[in-house]
Amino acid sequence: MPLLHIENLTKKFGGHTALDRITLSIEPGEVHALVGENGAGKSTLIKILTGVYEPTGGRLFWNGQEVRVDSPNDAQQLGINVIHQDRQLIPYFTGIENLYLNVPYPRKALGLGIDWKKMKKEAEGLLAKWGMDFPLTVPASDLTPSERTMLEIARAMMHHSKLLILDEPTASLTDKESELLFAFIERLREEGVSIIYISHRLEEVIRLSNRVTVLMGGKKMKTLAREELSIDRLVHYMTDGQAHEKKETANRPSAGESILQVENLRTADQAVKQVNFELNRGEILGVYGLAGSGRTETMEAIYGLRKIQEGTILFKQQTITKPDPGNSIQNGLVLIPENRHEDALIMQNTITENMTLPIVGMFTKNGVLQKKEEQKRVRQEMERFQVKAVHSRQSIAELSGGNQQKVVFAKALLSSPDVFICDEPTQAVDIMTRQYIHDFLREQAGEGKGVIYVSSDLHEILEISDRILVFSEGKTVANLPNEQLQPNDILDICYSFQKEAVQL
Amino acid sequence: MSTHSEKAKGSLNIKSLISAYGTIIAGILIVIIFSVMSPASFATYDNMINISRQISFLVIIAIGATLVMSVTEFDLSIGAMASLGGVISAKLATQGVPIILCILIPVAVGFVIGLINGGIVTRFKVLSFVTTLAMGTIIGGFTFWFTGGATIFENIPEGFKYLGQTSIGSIPLLSVIMIITVIIFWFVMSQMAVGRRFYAIGGNVRASQVSGIPINKYKTLAFALCSMLAALTGSLLASRLGSAHPTGGDGFFLNAYAAVFLGMTVMKSGVPNIIGTLFGAAIIGIMANGLTILEIPTFMQDVITGIIIILALIIQKLGREKV
Repeated sequence: MPLLHIENLTKKFGGHTALDRITLSIEPGEVHALVGENGAGKSTLIKILTGVYEPTGGRLFWNGQEVRVDSPNDAQQLGINVIHQDRQLIPYFTGIENLYLNVPYPRKALGLGIDWKKMKKEAEGLLAKWGMDFPLTVPASDLTPSERTMLEIARAMMHHSKLLILDEPTASLTDKESELLFAFIERLREEGVSIIYISHRLEEVIRLSNRVTVLMGGKKMKTLAREELSIDRLVHYMTDGQAHEKKETANRPSAGESILQVENLRTADQAVKQVNFELNRGEILGVYGLAGSGRTETMEAIYGLRKIQEGTILFKQQTITKPDPGNSIQNGLVLIPENRHEDALIMQNTITENMTLPIVGMFTKNGVLQKKEEQKRVRQEMERFQVKAVHSRQSIAELSGGNQQKVVFAKALLSSPDVFICDEPTQAVDIMTRQYIHDFLREQAGEGKGVIYVSSDLHEILEISDRILVFSEGKTVANLPNEQLQPNDILDICYSFQKEAVQL
Repeated sequence: MSTHSEKAKGSLNIKSLISAYGTIIAGILIVIIFSVMSPASFATYDNMINISRQISFLVIIAIGATLVMSVTEFDLSIGAMASLGGVISAKLATQGVPIILCILIPVAVGFVIGLINGGIVTRFKVLSFVTTLAMGTIIGGFTFWFTGGATIFENIPEGFKYLGQTSIGSIPLLSVIMIITVIIFWFVMSQMAVGRRFYAIGGNVRASQVSGIPINKYKTLAFALCSMLAALTGSLLASRLGSAHPTGGDGFFLNAYAAVFLGMTVMKSGVPNIIGTLFGAAIIGIMANGLTILEIPTFMQDVITGIIIILALIIQKLGREKV
């Protein structure tokens, strides 16, 4: 009997189906990997299993019994624990205190004070039992990343976890640390603990898993057994094996003059290590890379949101040493950020206030707003972008995701840029808006503007780009003209460079 | 999307009416209650004029608090700043300095201290709460050293008291200054690019940064204006009283924020705003005035005022939850 059986699990957010009738089983003592591109539904599935989201439909069986998981507490009661990328530890608590975070502290006789000795003994016993070795009496903030992961796993085992969900556990680990983790995963498996393993690193997945389930667009594509696993096969299912047809990109000057050159860019936080590329007028440059490849961070650095350590940026033949967003906008470089709600819009403000924010100075006389002029301009833009709203003074929060994104584009266009940097511009927008955004950017490129288009959707990248830049581990690793490229050509590059990085 | 707009349509009921206009309704109710209970002394023209003078200090200092709160920061040093403004003003007056300078010098000092507050908060990313708490302590200590802990009241020329005690017709000059301050800052906040940027920063710092707004500059400006208005309040108070006590302005601190919070409940969007702050300060002033006329002791006045503020905030939160 499987430990966990998921049957026809469905989750809808409004009209968007994040999970579509997923059925799968987790056997006791099995490492079951979930793979898929961003937006495939992995996180949604995990959030349902841990009681964060309520499923729209479908059933869950635990040891053959139907169960409901209504809260994270329910999940823990069953024995389901998740270890996230962002760790759930209190940094200034010691290992022992973190272990006992959700457990009553043992008391001394008559309940007089906390029995620290007993706590320490139990904690040490737990570590010994699982063959773990790290200091328990120092604050969690002083532990290495892998020790922190171990501490979290130890805490899960303290709750007698039967199903451990590891969400990108190696993302912040060095290779040696990863090896330690892998050895530990083996041990957990031997003890009969089941593991759901989520990772973008297919090498790891193949090495560790008993079975792998591939998700795409909220649907289950295939569950592969250990002996069937290979990177090619996984990539094949992750991309649905589609041969891709590139849309019409003609009647654009194939290569205008160079407008932006980036050489040997490295950021202070080392998220970007060595980035080189060039953008020409009239060109849409697609940027692709797996999670943690540094593509978003590169765009932020060029725009002025991330500190640069070294490298040169040449924009319109001028060297930019210390970019900042205000100057970037003035010089004609605009960023459409990845997170619409956090980075682009002010949700409590109106459409007008949002749209004119970067250039509100243009609608003033001696600092006084010329509101009529402003409204007129905003209404023009709303018409051009076909923003569906009651009026221009409506709160932006009342608009649909697609219409909000149109406002974001209108806002970018108002500053008359020469280069658009778009980071996941079609995330969570409807098909119509997506098409509209594509057409808009093609039109802008046609007018001689440069466009950088970052997306984790390979099909979209192949659809819109003239050239494709591939990022891996903070570096640009390939620069390909978009001619007869297939999704797996690009994924192959990503995974081979990742493998190389791991071997180094 | 469809459910959203349906909700918006269906929300025109009593509950939403109370949450949208609750504070205004409460304000009107308070006026009616006092008028009924004490028609001979409360509901008179003279008393209304009196209230307008009484609240002028609170309104001016609370406008400053509104500015820092509009960029989602706090300035806890405004009470101490008002005290310092008062003693500097009075001290200058005793030295025979012209009255206009007795006001402008403390105002400039306030502006500079605000720049320091803002500079520390924005450059070193220290919480404004802590920074200004410490700055308030420093200012308080300095004020004691400056005055030797004593009230300044001797040798203050009559000319210095003019500002605080004279009237234009039957309208006190203080009330006129208050109204001018309200109009100026209402204009700044709602009709100028500066105000737009303040509110943008308050609404979403990150999005404002991405939009190219120099966050640190505008936050620092908000702190500077806030401190400046606190100092102005202190010097006007000194002029009104003809004396300055080293802790004379401290009491404004809590009421100023109470006025801002009450004012936030007046606007549907719930952001700090000048007209709302005027309204909030008026409610607090009317309460104090009316309860004094009814001979209710000061400590009970505090209890009642506190309860009203909490109720207003709860009602507004309840109304907002649905959205």
